[in-house]
This record gives sequence, C-alpha cells and structure tokens, in this order.
Amino acid sequence: MASLSEEVLLVVKKVRQKKQDGTLYLMAERIAWGPEGKDRFTVSHSYSDIRCQKISPDGKAKVQLQLVLHTGESTTFHFANESTSRKDWEAAKELLQQLLPKFKKKANKELEEKNKMLQEDPVLFQLYKDLVVSQVISAEEFWANRLGGINNGESAACENKQEVGISGAFLADIRPQTDGCNGLRYNLTADIIESIFRTYPAVKQKYKENVPHNLTEKEFWTRFFQSHYFHRDRISTGTQDIFSECARQDEKGLKSLVTQGVKNPMVDLLSLEDKTLDEGYGISSALPSTSHASRTVKESSNFAIIKRFNHHSAMVLAAGSRKRDVPADQASETSSTDGNSRDSDFFQPPLKKVKLQEAIEYEDLQQENRPKTVALNLKKSDRYAHGPVPLQSQQYTTSQDIINSVNYIKHEMSNYKPNLTQVLSSAAASSAIAALSPGGVLMQQVAQQAINQMVPTEIQAELKHLYVAAGELLRHFWTCFPVNTAFLEEKLTGHLECMLQAAYSKFHIWQTRRMMRKT
Amino acid sequence: MHGENTQLHAERPQPICRMVFYTFISSEGEISLLVVVVDVNPIWWGQHAQSEPEFTLSKCLDAVMVMGNAHMAMTRTNQLAVIAAHCQDSHFLYPSKRLKGNDDTSSSRDGKYELLSVTNNLIAEEIRDIMSKTELTGNSTDTLLAGSLAKALCYINRISKEVGVAQEIKSRILVIKAADDCALQYMNFMNVIFAAQKQNILIDACVLDSDSGLLQQACDITGGLYLKIPQKVALAQYLLWVFLPDSEQRSLLVLPPPAHVDYRAACFCHRTLIEIGYVCSVCLSIFCNFSPICTTCETAFKIQLPQMVKPKKKKPKLPA
Repeated sequence: MASLSEEVLLVVKKVRQKKQDGTLYLMAERIAWGPEGKDRFTVSHSYSDIRCQKISPDGKAKVQLQLVLHTGESTTFHFANESTSRKDWEAAKELLQQLLPKFKKKANKELEEKNKMLQEDPVLFQLYKDLVVSQVISAEEFWANRLGGINNGESAACENKQEVGISGAFLADIRPQTDGCNGLRYNLTADIIESIFRTYPAVKQKYKENVPHNLTEKEFWTRFFQSHYFHRDRISTGTQDIFSECARQDEKGLKSLVTQGVKNPMVDLLSLEDKTLDEGYGISSALPSTSHASRTVKESSNFAIIKRFNHHSAMVLAAGSRKRDVPADQASETSSTDGNSRDSDFFQPPLKKVKLQEAIEYEDLQQENRPKTVALNLKKSDRYAHGPVPLQSQQYTTSQDIINSVNYIKHEMSNYKPNLTQVLSSAAASSAIAALSPGGVLMQQVAQQAINQMVPTEIQAELKHLYVAAGELLRHFWTCFPVNTAFLEEKLTGHLECMLQAAYSKFHIWQTRRMMRKT
Repeated sequence: MHGENTQLHAERPQPICRMVFYTFISSEGEISLLVVVVDVNPIWWGQHAQSEPEFTLSKCLDAVMVMGNAHMAMTRTNQLAVIAAHCQDSHFLYPSKRLKGNDDTSSSRDGKYELLSVTNNLIAEEIRDIMSKTELTGNSTDTLLAGSLAKALCYINRISKEVGVAQEIKSRILVIKAADDCALQYMNFMNVIFAAQKQNILIDACVLDSDSGLLQQACDITGGLYLKIPQKVALAQYLLWVFLPDSEQRSLLVLPPPAHVDYRAACFCHRTLIEIGYVCSVCLSIFCNFSPICTTCETAFKIQLPQMVKPKKKKPKLPA
C-alpha cells in the first residue's frame, strides 16, 4: 500500500492495464497502478527494478507504455483517456525518463561495490565463497554488515572524486574519413558522445526524445552530422530538421550571454578591441557597424564562425563547472552559464578587496610576525670555554729548571740517530707481555678466558707447527734481499714462490679440515 | 733487529704471529692511515731525561719508528704520518717537505725496504731540526696537543679526498703523551674530539706519565684505546701489542679493558667537579650552590615559598 510519506509526482487517470481501467501513480521511488474504484495497488514497481521503458510509436492509435523489469517480465499500460491521452502519456514518459536513470545507477552501483570489495580482499572473497556459495548464510546476511559502510561512504567518495572535464577540442576528434565512394565516415567514441551531451544539453534532450522510439542511434547521429546545425555555415532556415530547434536555442543562449556580460571587475573585455593605427594615426575611425545587412558575404561567414567558436567555448566551460546531478535543470542550461553567474556571486565587495590586496602585496616582503623573544644576555661567556681544573697539583718549575731542561734536550737531540736494533730488550718485552696477558697488571678486569685455555692442545700443537713452518719460509724470503746475485734472483722468483703457495694451501687445507670436523 | 726478533719468535710467538695471519684475512685495497702524534715537549723531556737516563726522547722516537715501520710493512697500502707536538707549534715529521727536495737519497745500506729507510731518515732529520730551533719564550710550557690533533684531522681529511670516493680509507690517530694536560685547551680539545667522532676516526692514547682526563674522554667518545704504561722502557712492546692492530682486528684480540672515565661536570664558580648541582635554565651554566641571580646571564630566579592556606570566604549570593 502507498505509505503516507510517499510523494506522489504524477497521477494519470484512465489508464488501462490488462484490460482494466485504473489510475497510474508515479511516486518518488516507485510507479504503481490501482484499478478504478479500489484503494490498493495491484501493480507496483520500484524504479530500481525497472530496466527500461518502451513506448508505442507515434502513429499508432493506441497509446501505450511498457515497463520492462530486470527480471524480464513486462507490464503494459494503455492510456485510454480520449482527449488527454497523448499529453498524459508524454508527461508520464518524461517523468520516467528522468527518474529511471537515477535509480538505475543506484542499483548498479551497489553491485559494483560488492564486486569491488570481493575483488580487493581475497580473504573476503574466500569467505564469501565458503559461506554464501555453499549456502551456509544467505547473501543478504553476508552483506548486511558490510554494506552499511558503502552507503555512507558513497556520497563522500563521490564528493572526493574529481570530475573529468571536457576537452575543448572534442569535436575535432571526430575526423571524417572518406569512405571510398563519396561518403564520409565519422568515428564516434563513447567519450565523444558524452562530451557532446554534456556540452550541448539540447542535443541530449533530442537524443532522449527520439532514441529509441523514432530513430536508431546510428540514424540519429547521421542526421546530426548532416544537419546544418553541425556544419559551419549555419543558416537557420526553416527546415524540418530536428536540430533546427537546437540552433534557435543556441542563438537565444548566446544573446543572453552577451547581455549578461562579464561581472568580474578585474577583467575588462572592452579594452581588447582591435585598434588600428593606420589611416590617420590616431584619428578614430567609425566603428564597424555590427548590423547584418551591411556586411559582405565573407565578413558574415567569418562572423558566424567566430560566433560559433565563442558559443562552443562558453558551453564547454559551462558544462565543466556544472554539477553532474542536475538533470532536471536542463531547460535552463544556456541561461545559467554557470561560470559567469558564479563570478558575479563571488565578486561581492569584500572578496574583491581581498583580491586587490593580494595583487598588490607580497607576503615575504612584509615584516615578519614572529612571537617576541627575549635575547640571551651573557656577561661572562668565557666560563663555557674552560674545562675542569685538573685534580693533580700543578708542578711548578722554576725558570732555571726550564732553561736547563731545554738545553739538555737540545744537546741530546742534536746527535740523534735512530738505533732500531736496540729498541727493546727481551726482559722488558716479556714483562710487558706479562702485564698485558690476562691476569696481568693491566688486565685485572678482563673476564675473558685466554684463547689458549679454550682451544684444545692438539689444535694448538698443529697451529704451532704451521706457524714455525711459515716462519722458516719467511726467513728464507727475507734472506734473499738484497738481490745481488743471479742465484738469489732465481730463488726468489721461482723457488720461493711455489714454496709460499704450498705453505698457504697447506694452511688452508688444515683450516677447512678443522672447520669440517667441528660441524 | 734480526737477532732480537728470532729470540722473540722462539720465546713468545703470539704477538707477531697474529700479524702474519691477519695480512691474509684483511680486505684487499683498503687503505689504513695511522697518524702518530708524539708529545715532544722539551721541558718535560729534558727534566725526565735527567732523572731517568734509560728512557729518553731518542728511545721514545725509536719505539715510534719501529711501530711506524711495522705498520707500513704489514700491507702495501698502509700509510703513515707522524706529527710532533711542541710547546711552540706542531710539526709534521713525516711526510715532510724535505721529501720532495732530496731525490737522490742514498740507497739503504742494510737491505731495508726503501720506504722504511726513507721514513726513518726523514723523521730523524726533522726532529733534529725542530729541537735545534727550540726558542724559549717563557709563556707557554704546555704542549699544543689540541692543535696537533687538529692538524692530524686535517691531514686525514686531505688524504681521504685525494684517495677518492671509490677507495675505502680507515684512519686512526695515536697520541703518545708525556706532559700534563693544559686546561686552556679544553674547548679546542672537545671540538677536535667531536669532529673525530663524526668522521669515524679513532683516537688512541698511550700515556707515559700522568693520567689525562681529556684523552680519556677522547678515547671513550671515539672508540679508541687508552693506556697508561707502567714501564716506559718497554714502550715498543706496548705499541706493537696494543696499538698496532686496527679496530677490526682489535675485536678479535684480548686487550686491556677501557678505563673508567670521569664525566662529571665542573661548576662555573669554582671549577671543581661536582656530582649534583644547579643549572640555570636560560644559559645552562652549572653552579654548585644556589644563588638567586645567575651570574652568567643575570636572570633572576624565584623560589616558591610554602604557601599559607587562606580560609576561603564564601561569596554572598546575589539576589535573583
């Protein structure tokens, strides 16, 4: 039953359905039909269920409207009112035309969201497969929790998405190609079609009206390109073209644009006129008259082209700044000319002032407004430069001492000759080593074990053998220098070389053997 | 040298054995630069030479030369630099400007690796030169150690740039310190230490006489080794054992543990080391006692006196 809160958009009386008289109600979210005299609706379809509507062609006597649902079934309504059937039928058709796309998108969008979610999250997909496909839980339950986020987030996502603008040159993309025998091929992609619809809502309207009832899409576009509307020289003769109405609408729109003018006070379009300085240098000649009659043919065709270009640019800009979800606003497309009207709204006095100020002042040339700080005022900054006074008492030396010491050292070093063979006595060396070994004077805090306690004795013995052998080889090596005789030279380059190699490989073998034994 | 070394081989194989094996293991082509900063303060050395005649500056320099030779002999790509820190200035002993002058250096007579003999001769010549030119001004008796360290850092920087980006170069500085610390060089010293830390340059310290707090800090911050030697005559052995291996090899050896460093701050008023003190929140100067005005930045501090609890008076309600 119809709820009280539902908004009834249209009521059509005397609509027959299945040979029964009744009334057709178009509500905000559904379409319903109830038989005459009864209160309840026998037929009720929500718009999201309707796939499309079909209308009977114009010539037929019977005026019918058929609704095809997604499920495939269809319902036919016959508008039987003698006098107003046509009008009712058209009104109903138009309303449906406008409402259906809105709901269609919603239904599709939900499915799309679901698909996307399943694709993005493989875990979810697996879960879905396991639970829903094998019918453990129904699909509705599965999506009940998850889709709650979608409906809320949808509007936000839509707002955040940037709208794709229209390329100004989209008409140029339709490059006609000669088709062999005197024909032209125009390539239309979906993008171009969309651009045309967005820029010229009048064309869109025509498309909706005629396709698919009167013309096929192909025919529509053929007519479009053939029409003078599209062509350069638009001569608005009274032809029976479906697009002549569009041409008239465009003219109207253009005139309203011109009268509106540009409200932005920063832009002065009138100063951009062509001013020639010939013929008198400064004497202003009379402005060329803009009336149609006095123009030459060439001038008028140029004028037409320029007019068309201006109109086209204005439409592109208007379409770009127009929001998407205003389909009901199509009637006012040219008069809105959103760019301009918005400009005029924007340039209220305070904003204009702000704009002027921005143009005049530069931010970084102005005084900086940093928070006020107090300067640090150090009276005795050399205090930071001194470290702690050494704890040991200073040794004081008399100047005589100093002089004596310096003389002594000078004397000593004047005869200095390095004597590197007498640097270290073995007694001193051994005592130093004892001090440095674990347990010695300097190593009291070392808790580490000496390696010779960690390594087993047999490895130590082997290592000692290897080391002694290496030492012997080294001794041979060093005794070859200086290379005075040929014998030494030969020994060095040949004999010793392979000896060293042999020694190295022996050590390497031993090392790997040891490591293998460990593991 | 040979005689002594073979004796050492037989008795104590460990120290030099390590070096032989590590030449096989170390990475190819990596340049290791060792800069030795020797404290040649003539006043300190002159005084101590009179009291301890067996360890003089000559012996010290001999030990340094032995270590330098060992460093250069280990790998062909190793480089050495020696700087003498005097109380007048700091001077490069090696490489010196004389290097380019004398191309006709006499070939070494005892079959030594040419680079080593050239190095030793140059060092000897330079130190003789420096010592003969020592002038007494009377003002400064302290070693200009911070300046020498700064020169060392500059030299390392220059060599790193000359070597190029593709070559890896690892540098370290070894300081052999004789005289006492100079308190005036504190700021410069700290700057040098932090610069070295930034450049990943180790600073090692071998201290002959008295402990130096600054060098302890330097070694701690840069990751080097600090050692105060009990026996000065065995300097060569200590240098070869502890300071010759580079940082990678040190992790594999058992070496003296790091010393405990005294990081206490000194108060600004008496310059004594304190553990707990007062810090001005404006200029960050440290005091040992509280004073209501900071003497450095003249900020006044207020102490909160304990508040007296006043009985609350109830406001009379306004008639509605």
